[in-house]
Amino acid sequence: MQPHLKKAFTLLAIAIIGFIVVRSFIVPVSFGQYGWYRGDAIIDSMNFEIRHAGSATCGEENCHNSIYSIWIDSKHKTVNCETCHGPSEKHVNNVRIMPEPVNDTRDFCGMCHFKSAARPEEFPQIDPDTHGENLRCAYCHNPHKPWFV
Amino acid sequence: MVENLIWGYIYPNEAEIQWSILIVLYPYITGLVAGAFIASSLYHVFGKKEIRPVARFALLTALAFLLVATMPLLTHLGHPERGIEIMFTPHVTSAMSGFGYIYSFYLIIVVLEIWLSFREDIVNKALSSHGWKELLYSVLALFSFDISEKALHDDEKLAKRLAIIGIPSAAFLHGYVGFIFGGIKANPWWSTPLMPIIFLMSAIVSGIALLILLYIVSTVFRKQKIDHNCLQSLAHYLWIFLILDVVLELLEIVSMKYESLEEIDIINRLLSEKIATTFYGVQLTLGIFIPFVLLLLVGIIKNRETLKLIMISISSIFVVIGVFAMRWNVVIGGQEISKSLSGTMTYVPVFYSIEGVLPAIIILIIPFIILIVLTKILPPWKDMDKGVE
Amino acid sequence: MIGEIKMKLSRREFARIGCRVIIGATAGSAIIESIVTNSVASEDPPKGEYDWKEHLWGYVIDTRKCIGCGRCANACKLENEVPFDEPVYRTWVERYRELKDKDVKIDSPNGGINGFIDDVPAEEINKAFYVPKICNHCENPPCVQVCPVGATFSTEDGVVLVDYKYCIGCRYCIQGCPYGARYFNTEKGTADKCTWCYHRITKGLLPACVQACPVGARIFGDLKNPESEVNKILDKERINVLKPDLGTKPKVYYVGLDREVR
Ligand code: HEC
Ligand code: HEC
Ligand code: HEC
Repeated sequence: MQPHLKKAFTLLAIAIIGFIVVRSFIVPVSFGQYGWYRGDAIIDSMNFEIRHAGSATCGEENCHNSIYSIWIDSKHKTVNCETCHGPSEKHVNNVRIMPEPVNDTRDFCGMCHFKSAARPEEFPQIDPDTHGENLRCAYCHNPHKPWFV
Repeated sequence: MVENLIWGYIYPNEAEIQWSILIVLYPYITGLVAGAFIASSLYHVFGKKEIRPVARFALLTALAFLLVATMPLLTHLGHPERGIEIMFTPHVTSAMSGFGYIYSFYLIIVVLEIWLSFREDIVNKALSSHGWKELLYSVLALFSFDISEKALHDDEKLAKRLAIIGIPSAAFLHGYVGFIFGGIKANPWWSTPLMPIIFLMSAIVSGIALLILLYIVSTVFRKQKIDHNCLQSLAHYLWIFLILDVVLELLEIVSMKYESLEEIDIINRLLSEKIATTFYGVQLTLGIFIPFVLLLLVGIIKNRETLKLIMISISSIFVVIGVFAMRWNVVIGGQEISKSLSGTMTYVPVFYSIEGVLPAIIILIIPFIILIVLTKILPPWKDMDKGVE
Repeated sequence: MIGEIKMKLSRREFARIGCRVIIGATAGSAIIESIVTNSVASEDPPKGEYDWKEHLWGYVIDTRKCIGCGRCANACKLENEVPFDEPVYRTWVERYRELKDKDVKIDSPNGGINGFIDDVPAEEINKAFYVPKICNHCENPPCVQVCPVGATFSTEDGVVLVDYKYCIGCRYCIQGCPYGARYFNTEKGTADKCTWCYHRITKGLLPACVQACPVGARIFGDLKNPESEVNKILDKERINVLKPDLGTKPKVYYVGLDREVR
């Protein structure tokens, strides 16, 4: 082979080897641990911060025991505390951090209860214009036990 | 305002068009690269002597555009600094992952090919100049100054082999860009096995047309006479590839309409409301039909060189615009239909933004600057100009 | 003359380069070996209590129960730090209304988070229903297939996740997803999607959307556990998945799916 070609190919070889060396330093160690991805990414996903504590946590002793106990036998037992009160994991860990103030407007209850054609018929729905004289729903219903009127 | 741009129902996450004008540029630029390279190999591999005047220039054009091909992509990435991962950990099942390697491989081939076909000039310049120029050309010659008959002959042999590898890899470089779109089953406008080959044909068409234009412009600037023989034979090839191109593009539409699958309603809507002008008007009529007729006339008419020159220039300009419209219709058109198949959205290009029209224009200008610099360093014309001057 | 001297010089230089190439090549092959051994999938699950080999998660959506309150989409955004005011959603609720003149109106204003407004009088409506949507965590996920760098992947327990520290933000996966379940997170500069609340389910909790649903339209469970509620429904009900013809094999199963839903 001509010397100039040899030189060119040597340059090329050096570039390729350089690339391989750099690659071996930069690719994360856990890459390929379980498949074609960074194994540590799973740990990252697992360690994401939890925001919703769950209703059972609210009912723990010395906490909202009484509200919990009436809620649990009410029609609203399928409605999670945090669905109305907002994510409260921070509040559970530190009672001084209060959850967001609850939205007690008519429209909020209405997201579930206002009459709508697309809702299953058996679900209890009310006509917002005629029901409850335009008062706050909690004026007549206890949100934690709607039939507490 | 956003509401007016949306018709029917789109998935809530689709409100924003993800691939902007920059991603239209990417297949356009790689297409020009592939086309220019294939035009040059008409001479290097297939020995079409009449193309000789532009053969080396075509290589430089390919390089100039190749160097910017990554730019629109990198600008568009959410994390450009991580872009190199595509070379470090390419995920083989992805159509996009090949980009890094195919691109690098092709870059090496083009650079080697250029180096080999210019080496004689480089060495001569290195030996005849002084100062920084001597250094530059000596570095380019890799400090080997052997331009004996034998060495040049070896170079030529290698160059030919490289060009032979180069054709499939140019085809691959661009066919695979087509596959990036053609392999997306989620999108009915993209998902067709014809996509790679349509992309390839339009790439060749746009590359040849660009080469014709650049050749004409450069001869005007250099105050040289145009080699009409060369020009007309380029026009001839342009015409042939135009036919292939239009046949495939129409085949795609016709089979989509004929089969009338679930998605036909939304495709019809796309074609009649969203991209009607760019598709029927620019891509098909301006970009294919008019050049086709003009080039046909060029083939028929005898003598009248100036008229032919004008007709060839016009059709080349139209082709270059038409192919851009084709890329637009694929990339933007495909994103303007919702994957829910029951709605459309509208892409509104912004001017001043990282993904806007301004960077797109800049990226399109850069290759011409690179090309000017390249032709200053490595004038591709030397043997043609001797006689004419 | 000069040329000759340079050539001699270059020959010596060349020998030196040659030596280096040999050394480099041996080093290179050692490196390649290390890469290969690295990429052989290990059998051990990620450290911690949770063993991902014991689970395969599945999700059932009972469209007949959904009341369209959108509390799921709301809870999801709050739980997962999804940009709240941007039109991006990991889960959302669609409303389908077939009018008397057979026109089908589909909408999902803000993913259903603010509820739905009845803008068509009930008399004109033939039938209407809500359909919650979420990432299908396909068994054969097109988004994972198209990711060029391996920044999104299926876990052993059947969840499709994104590696936010590795994603380059090319958005190919967003194009590849037939369900519109992926979005671009401008805050992170990466693609993003539902994780079925991987941080919750690996600790024995339910995904936020399932927990928030007041009517039990969303059911989450372990397909490997024959006693799980998901399996009971799959054994009893007539179920369907979205766009089955694309061969993605979704793991979100729908009960009472209408033909209009895509
Ligand atoms: C349907 C929505 C809803 C649900 C579900 C709900 N709450 Fe409430 N909660 C409210 C509203 C509305 C108020 C404000 C009452 C008022 O204004 O009279 C409130 C008030 C409260 C208060 C402060 C007022 C007080 O009575 O001391 C506490 C504490 C509380 N809720 C706890 C809970 C707990 C614990 C749960 C779950 C077991 C729960 N809530 C479930 C709607 C709800
Ligand atoms: C997240 C949705 C949701 C919200 C918000 C909500 N509810 Fe309910 N509500 C329900 C569900 C679910 C039931 C049980 C329905 C059933 O038993 O079929 C229910 C039951 C009721 C019932 C009993 C209806 C019956 O027929 O027995 C009343 C009354 C009621 N809710 C009032 C309210 C009021 C007042 C508010 C606002 C503070 C409210 N709800 C907010 C979901 C909701
Ligand atoms: C003035 C008191 C009052 C107010 C305010 C009020 N309700 Fe009621 N609600 C009643 C009474 C009384 C009934 C039972 C009789 C009936 O069905 O009308 C009832 C029944 C219901 C039911 C059950 C309907 C059924 O068909 O089973 C729902 C649901 C309900 N209310 C929701 C609401 C919501 C949501 C609001 C707020 C927008 C609200 N109520 C405000 C007094 C009230």
